[in-house]
Amino acid sequence: MHPDDLLKFSLADFTYNDSPNVMDPPQDFERWVGDPRIGMAMSFFEQPLQGAPTPRMTLRQGMSGENRQMINLTSYNYLGLSTHPEVVAAAVEALQTYGLGASGAAMLSGTFDQHQRFAEELAAFKGREACLLFPSGYAGNLGAIQGLLQRGDVLVIDSKCHRSVVDGAKLSGAKMVSFEHNNPASLDQMLERHAGKRRLVVVEGVYSMDGDIAELPDILDVCESHDVPLYIDEAHSSLVFGETGKGLVEHFGVEDRVGVDFGTLSKSFGGIGGFVCGDANLIQYIKCYASPFQFSCALPPAVVAAMRKALEVATRDNSLREKLWKNVNHFRSNLEALNLDLGGSRSQVIPIIVGSSGEELIQLAMAAQQRGLFLQPIDFPAVEAHARRFRISVSSQLTPEDIDEAATIIEDVIARPLGLVGAA
Amino acid sequence: MSKAMDKKEVIEIIKKNLKENLHDVDVDAIEPTSSMRDHGANSLDMIEVVSATMRELEIRVPRSELSQIENIEQLAEKFIEYL
Repeated sequence: MHPDDLLKFSLADFTYNDSPNVMDPPQDFERWVGDPRIGMAMSFFEQPLQGAPTPRMTLRQGMSGENRQMINLTSYNYLGLSTHPEVVAAAVEALQTYGLGASGAAMLSGTFDQHQRFAEELAAFKGREACLLFPSGYAGNLGAIQGLLQRGDVLVIDSKCHRSVVDGAKLSGAKMVSFEHNNPASLDQMLERHAGKRRLVVVEGVYSMDGDIAELPDILDVCESHDVPLYIDEAHSSLVFGETGKGLVEHFGVEDRVGVDFGTLSKSFGGIGGFVCGDANLIQYIKCYASPFQFSCALPPAVVAAMRKALEVATRDNSLREKLWKNVNHFRSNLEALNLDLGGSRSQVIPIIVGSSGEELIQLAMAAQQRGLFLQPIDFPAVEAHARRFRISVSSQLTPEDIDEAATIIEDVIARPLGLVGAA
Repeated sequence: MSKAMDKKEVIEIIKKNLKENLHDVDVDAIEPTSSMRDHGANSLDMIEVVSATMRELEIRVPRSELSQIENIEQLAEKFIEYL
């Protein structure tokens, strides 16, 4: 690998380890990762927050190692529930009662009254018969898909589905094929090609790197024409979309047409975990064959108690959701005025698509950080090489002043250097 | 690996690796102008086929340069640039 070529490579290029000893990373990896320019890009990973994930927070910066007050545009704390006083109080109270961990797998000793009640409340919230909790969102998709599918089956996924869905297919032994993003004709073609097999279609409510939403009515029409069930991952859309926050299924009024309703608890809920809702007999069956459920320790009971409170706070009225959407619209109009490419975003996840140069993306990211924005660059292979980007996660906790200040910084350090507004 | 290898030979290596990863594909039916996806390959299969072919050709092509390639012939042409 020539030094001039180092920047052409990415994390996608070292998955195959050509070293004879498994204890040695690939030969070129060390040289690549040791290059200062790559080091600069890697410095954005795992920068430790020094406090709660609120709009104004302190971050220890990866490059300088110094703490700095930042405007937080990256955390998934969409409704601010991670730090909501009632949620935190519920956690503290439950911690006194239950202690720290669950001390066991859910099937044996890890299920507490808090877990049972929360599963019932989530099922009721989603309008489903039953719900199963998982220790993380990743584990949830992995386990639910493993529980549903087997060798010989075909999992048909949107090409932009999350890695947890892909790994669920691998674990299940089912064949996985993808259809073009949000394209019903492509889905139809894939289902036709695998006619005669047991099939399951998976889409997401809000796609996490683009902020666009599944075209559910059209996708469901295709699924139903092939008599194939739909599994929706509402990780980013639960508590955000729909009149009462049920998610995209409620937004489109298609609750009765979706077979499996999945969600995570680390975004709007402000905690951690995954959950899958559906018919009681199906959930009972998944429970018995989902390894990530069976072989993981259950969620900490105090976290579950706090997420119960989070669900109550988020659904007793629409105030947090309304505040979030007001902020989304305010932020969007600021960004649109800067002529930025926001892709097809229709949600609280707003990308700023920069283009094909990874080097430029990292330079812009450094400038944004130096001006006090916690705004993560999203590089290839997480997104397509021609559409490297930043990703904004809007929170209901942002004030109009926070948003205007962030937009001013974005104008100075992203829009101007890209030549989208005024002189650079 | 010989640097004198032509496009046809590179395409044959890609086809062979596609067959090894997909099992149920008919190698003779693979047109160079088709994509691996047309033959039922998913993203993970394509990563495997590309990796195996690059190892066989003893080349290293940045994955970022492959993301907009649409068919097997274009993939072979990209590999030849690095031979």
